[in-house]
Amino acid sequence: MLSHNAQGLYWIGRYLERAEHGCRLLADQLEALQDRPVDDIDRMWRRLYASLKRSPAGGSLESNLSDEEFMLADSFTLADDLTFEPSNPGAIRNCVASARENARQVRNSIGKDMWYCLNTVHLELSGIGIGDIWNNQPGDFYSHTKDAIRTFSGAADSTMYRDCGWHFLQLGRFIERAQLLASLLDAQVSTFPTGEQQIESDWCSLLRVCEARFAYSRRHSLEYLPCNVIGFLVSDPLLSHSIRYSLAQITDALDAVSEEQPAMEASHLGGRMSAYIDYEWPGRDPEDDQATRHALQRIHETCCHLHDNIEATYFNYIIEDSPRS
Amino acid sequence: MTTETPRPSSSAAGEKTTAGARLFADYQVHPSCYDEMFRASGIPHDHCQELWKALDAMSRTDIKVMQERAERSFLHEGITFAVYGDESAQERIIPIDLLPRILDAGTWDFIERGLRQRIKALNLFLADVYGPARILTDGVLPGELVYSCPQYRIEMRGVEVPHGAYVSLCGTDIVRTHDGFMVLEDNLRVPSGVSYMLANRRALKASFRNLFRQHRVRGIEDYGLLLLQTLKELAPPDISNPCIVLLTPGVYNSAFYEHMFLAREMGIELVQGKDLLVHDGFVYMRTTGGLRRVDVIYRRVDDDFLDPLAFRPDSQLGVPGLFYAYRLGNVVIANAPGTGVADDKSVYPFVPDMIRYYLGEDPLLANVETHLCRQPEGLEYTLDNLEHLVVKMVGESGGYGMLVGPHATPDERAEYAREIRKDPSNFISQPTLDLSCAPCLTGDGVAPRHVDLRPFVLHGQNTRLVPGAFCRVALTPGSLVVNSSQGGGGKDFWVLSS
Repeated sequence: MLSHNAQGLYWIGRYLERAEHGCRLLADQLEALQDRPVDDIDRMWRRLYASLKRSPAGGSLESNLSDEEFMLADSFTLADDLTFEPSNPGAIRNCVASARENARQVRNSIGKDMWYCLNTVHLELSGIGIGDIWNNQPGDFYSHTKDAIRTFSGAADSTMYRDCGWHFLQLGRFIERAQLLASLLDAQVSTFPTGEQQIESDWCSLLRVCEARFAYSRRHSLEYLPCNVIGFLVSDPLLSHSIRYSLAQITDALDAVSEEQPAMEASHLGGRMSAYIDYEWPGRDPEDDQATRHALQRIHETCCHLHDNIEATYFNYIIEDSPRS
Repeated sequence: MTTETPRPSSSAAGEKTTAGARLFADYQVHPSCYDEMFRASGIPHDHCQELWKALDAMSRTDIKVMQERAERSFLHEGITFAVYGDESAQERIIPIDLLPRILDAGTWDFIERGLRQRIKALNLFLADVYGPARILTDGVLPGELVYSCPQYRIEMRGVEVPHGAYVSLCGTDIVRTHDGFMVLEDNLRVPSGVSYMLANRRALKASFRNLFRQHRVRGIEDYGLLLLQTLKELAPPDISNPCIVLLTPGVYNSAFYEHMFLAREMGIELVQGKDLLVHDGFVYMRTTGGLRRVDVIYRRVDDDFLDPLAFRPDSQLGVPGLFYAYRLGNVVIANAPGTGVADDKSVYPFVPDMIRYYLGEDPLLANVETHLCRQPEGLEYTLDNLEHLVVKMVGESGGYGMLVGPHATPDERAEYAREIRKDPSNFISQPTLDLSCAPCLTGDGVAPRHVDLRPFVLHGQNTRLVPGAFCRVALTPGSLVVNSSQGGGGKDFWVLSS
């Protein structure tokens, strides 16, 4: 497959995963606005921004917590920043636009239905702003956008030829997912340290953001213990939004694309990280937040290395080293 | 004027409200132009009878709904065209008019023969001017005209071109007046529009499901296959399964949708300059499995930008060394570099002479009378009659840099005249033609708008064309400029089976 196309598909996977993640985070955040105390809302915004490694456009998140009106009004600005802000490359609308731009360039590698889904959600988002959604069930907007992105994934799943293109789409999707999960969990542990008194809904909300609440309740009943929640989201091999599951998908995709060109280093990185989660992670002290955060940061870094390695092996390789046919 | 043609039965449409009034109820043919559907107001040409009846029985409301649906589908499919210099309209849909233009089998047969004759002569001309140049020594056209043309590529002299197919793809602009069909322009470099021809057909098929079989409209859907066959024929003979790619300047090119569409239709890779490289005289593309050799490049990049080592050194779109690989015969480029000399606006008036010279035949399709300002008598005539003429710049296309004399103000004409005097050889003039009109949907009904026709001819070992064309429409009332870049639209074009 043309490197340029593989790269386009890889980035479609990454951008859409990022956009979907943004939708889930904001849907949860907006739900909290309805009934949670202002302090909680503030902490949740902090977690959200820390997980995205971003500062709000207006500066810091320091707000006048005694003024409820101010906090709620500020939520409007923050949601706008993460959804529509033109200068924020990670804003949901920008992620969708970037995915769509990549799709436009690789349209002969994707199906018509896939293009149609992506172009439709792009057109929908292009014509609106935060003012249009804020006073009219904003949660519905995020849920609708998330569904539209999933329709794309569904179309890809049911129509794409399982050649390199499919595997690069998967690679992008799951590297992004693993990275976002590692960041989110890191931000969660730093915002809600395990030593402090825990509010169950903070951990329940984390599970909801990761689409894991139902699965968690089946596995661990309805006791939202921080160490159980973190462990579940990191190491459960059956949970589609766990880091371990994402790594397994990355390994499978790498194995498939390696048939064309081996990516030894990337495979080793992925394999080592899976082994770390399987064998070392359970042995750490679950009460030691520093150790947990360190492990999550290590996972995040590994994802960055994986990305660089895939870039160098498949997209921007040195010509002299490449085989010819 | 005869009036024996029956009106469609009113019972089909019934008496309707204004919004639901019969489609052609108020249609008046243009007073001075040929109408593609009607002999006179209310009286269609024989071959348009059935279509007229079917369309006239539809209400305006119904057709408006269909029109909106078609436009929406264009937007969602991304059938867009970028207009340079217009940031707000980076991606704009090409407006489609749902009322098809229709041609009978015999007339199409005539056009087809004319097009085949023309592409044959143009290819012989190119082989000649890049080879022995007999036509110049025999004085059929002045050598100075060819050699001073910026599109003449001296680098092409002596290059072996497979099957002599310098021009493998051509999009000829044909107009119709009361005097018949005329070729307005041969587009021999990187003609575009074929995807809109196919998209318009799809939109019409979706809108008027029953009309196609009923009218025995000839199919055009195998264009992609014919194009692929043509490109395969150009591949080096020792390669059984050639690797063919389409080279695009990228997403910011106005016709990017078309490039993507054609690559998809043919199942070939769509590449940009940065995806290709030349090594040891061969062209490779960068794939996830390493470098893969490329045998045929259907390029949609202009000559100037193809290879920074051979042509414009500042080109970011091309492939360094591509022309070297081409000269070695290790890759085929279609169309060949340098074909622009044959569609140059100053060479255009000599195409009928070329046909006589190379083929010994009379041209079937006429040219539009053209005055070259580089010739003193042409310059004098042009300046004296500016208010009646269309003046074009030799090196421009797409409707840019053009003066439509009758529609220009005296000041605009005076300014343009000064430009002509500064560099006469850069201008040609033609009479303002009464381009034919076809009925088009407008905000308040149906009205005549000027149209032209761009059929696409393929030429490899054989010459092929589908019975169809991109029919361009000047949607602005009274406008004669049909170019998409100037706000023109398109409509489906039907050729009926005999």
